[in-house]
Amino acid sequence: MDREAKLARLLEHPTIWRGRSAAHQRGLPSGFAALDAYLPGYGWPRTGLIEILVSRFGSGELYLLLPALAALTRTAAARWCVWVAPPLMPFAPALVSQGIVLDRVAVVGGARPLWALEQVLGSGACDVALAWARQPQAREIRRLQLAAERGRTLGVLFRPRRAAREASAAVLRLSLQPISAGVRITLLKGRGAMRGAVDLLRPSWPV
Amino acid sequence: MSLHVLRATAGKAGKSALPADAGGVQPRAAPLRITPRHAPGGRTGELWAGLHLPGINPEKLQQLAVCAQRFTPRVSLAPPDGLLLEVQGSLHLFAGVAGLRGALRSECRRLQVQPVLAFAPAALAALVAARAGKPLAVTDPAQLTGQLAPLPLASLRWPPDTLARLARMGVRTIGAALRLPRAGFARRVGSEQLAMLDVLTGRTPEARVTFHAPERFRRRRELDCELENHTLLLAALAPLFAELGAFLTARQCAVVEFECRFQHRHVPATRCVVRLAAPATDVQRLAGLLGEHLSVLDLPEPARACELRADALVPYLPGSNGLWQPGEHGGSAGEETCELIERLRARLGSEAVHGLTRLAAHRPENAWALTEPPPAASRRGAHVGSSTDAVAAGRRPLWLLPAPRPLSVRDGLPRRRGPLRLVSEPERIETGWWDGGEIARDYYTAVDLHRVRLWVFRDRAAPHGWFLHGVFG
Repeated sequence: MDREAKLARLLEHPTIWRGRSAAHQRGLPSGFAALDAYLPGYGWPRTGLIEILVSRFGSGELYLLLPALAALTRTAAARWCVWVAPPLMPFAPALVSQGIVLDRVAVVGGARPLWALEQVLGSGACDVALAWARQPQAREIRRLQLAAERGRTLGVLFRPRRAAREASAAVLRLSLQPISAGVRITLLKGRGAMRGAVDLLRPSWPV
Repeated sequence: MSLHVLRATAGKAGKSALPADAGGVQPRAAPLRITPRHAPGGRTGELWAGLHLPGINPEKLQQLAVCAQRFTPRVSLAPPDGLLLEVQGSLHLFAGVAGLRGALRSECRRLQVQPVLAFAPAALAALVAARAGKPLAVTDPAQLTGQLAPLPLASLRWPPDTLARLARMGVRTIGAALRLPRAGFARRVGSEQLAMLDVLTGRTPEARVTFHAPERFRRRRELDCELENHTLLLAALAPLFAELGAFLTARQCAVVEFECRFQHRHVPATRCVVRLAAPATDVQRLAGLLGEHLSVLDLPEPARACELRADALVPYLPGSNGLWQPGEHGGSAGEETCELIERLRARLGSEAVHGLTRLAAHRPENAWALTEPPPAASRRGAHVGSSTDAVAAGRRPLWLLPAPRPLSVRDGLPRRRGPLRLVSEPERIETGWWDGGEIARDYYTAVDLHRVRLWVFRDRAAPHGWFLHGVFG
């Protein structure tokens, strides 16, 4: 047995506490190896609210999630993948070409996105809910986080980048910035997370 | 023999899941099979009114059956165009056969149907006489066979080839058929037909399925004081919901739609109809849904009384509960999904939840459509071909604008908050010339100053404008 394996075995001992083990559950593979290595739990959390902060709509934030969404909609007992109050209509042919099963996709429109998102997250009927909200209050985000835990749902909230200064109850907060050859992802908050940023570059980056 | 004629043998009476009073066969200790020695002319103390209603539709027949229940509790349907009533007990009340005939006729007139009415001690005899167009009124069982004799055999509705064979033998009336030797008749025509003749003449009693009007739930509650507050109204409705729950449990039924009415002092009642995505029995959930509906409902006045109605009841088939919660291992989310759809629709309107589907069209605008919300359980195998279709589609943005938005142009290149850089080869989409929605466009991927990727096109028709049509996301 070489040193690496010995060390790994030693570190499996339950009395040894490591920062990264705070993310108890094995995460949902994001589809990008570099991002998986960077995220706590080696992937997206399966339950809870995450925030993705972008400077502009369409900076590549959706491509970040698509491989995980496609994997979720393809499982045997897949629940819904709900888009709450999207700013434009998701284009069905593009979703199909990214591997998403349209049979599992639902779009919720309407005037009250945060209320709808809370219902969707707490219902237990969905695997993942994506939402676009202008200015949610910290109290509302706390409610969303609790609802997501109740419904065992992954909630993804897309927010403008200036919200980075506000406190948030989300389990994971990322900031995303397009760079010349891909995107740069900075982790703002995460349970047992690393610091720093990770760049997703072509060709792994689809855009 | 029609399906609705049940032979009164012990085995069948036991198997048919009818209420005890339904079949018309009183429990008796007598021999189970009625022998041919039984006195002809039907069972004592029965008089059947047969209505032949040519060309009636099933809904109207049902409606007439409900109305006919005011003459007697024993009403029986003989679809498609017959109705039978056992009226012996009602004769006195309606002044004999003549009075009852008049009352039944006026009831039919009210529903705009023209019946032929016949009375006979055996149900099938009354029906056959009515079908033959003979308004007989036979009250004495001894006269039944004689009165039936001249009626044509065709009104028994036997198979055409049987009737044709009998006609070749010169047998055209019921009387002629009854005169044939029984053993030979059974051998040459069929024992089923012989049994039907026995039922017709009353040799064999007949068990008929009694019609039951479809059940519905209606309960009303007068409020102690006028209420406007939604929470208080919901609390006032709680006993009604509890009654509904008991009603549904007792009948093993579920509701697919229910209605709540609020009576006011001056204005007409406010109706609040709740439609469910799937049959439901859980009244807590129903009350919660009504609460959502009430929260968007504006009452014109305080309510003085409330009424809960559930007319559309369906048999409830409880599904099996999974071991896992939705989201754990293989837990599926059937009920939760229906509940979510209902809750969202209650608050946001019936158009709030949609599914998406892809259509086989080249025009981007026509390549997708909104559908009903997707089913709770995934249809496995429905998406097998998706990966192969995807190759043909080309690069498509994740977001599509509702309509192409014109872009400003400088030096022949499009601009959107600064110049756009075209980073892809053009993809030409030129189609739709056959239906008037003709397009001829060259699509490009463009990157703006903030590195947002856009899907733009240049119209090939003059004036060759640039348009924004999608965002890659």
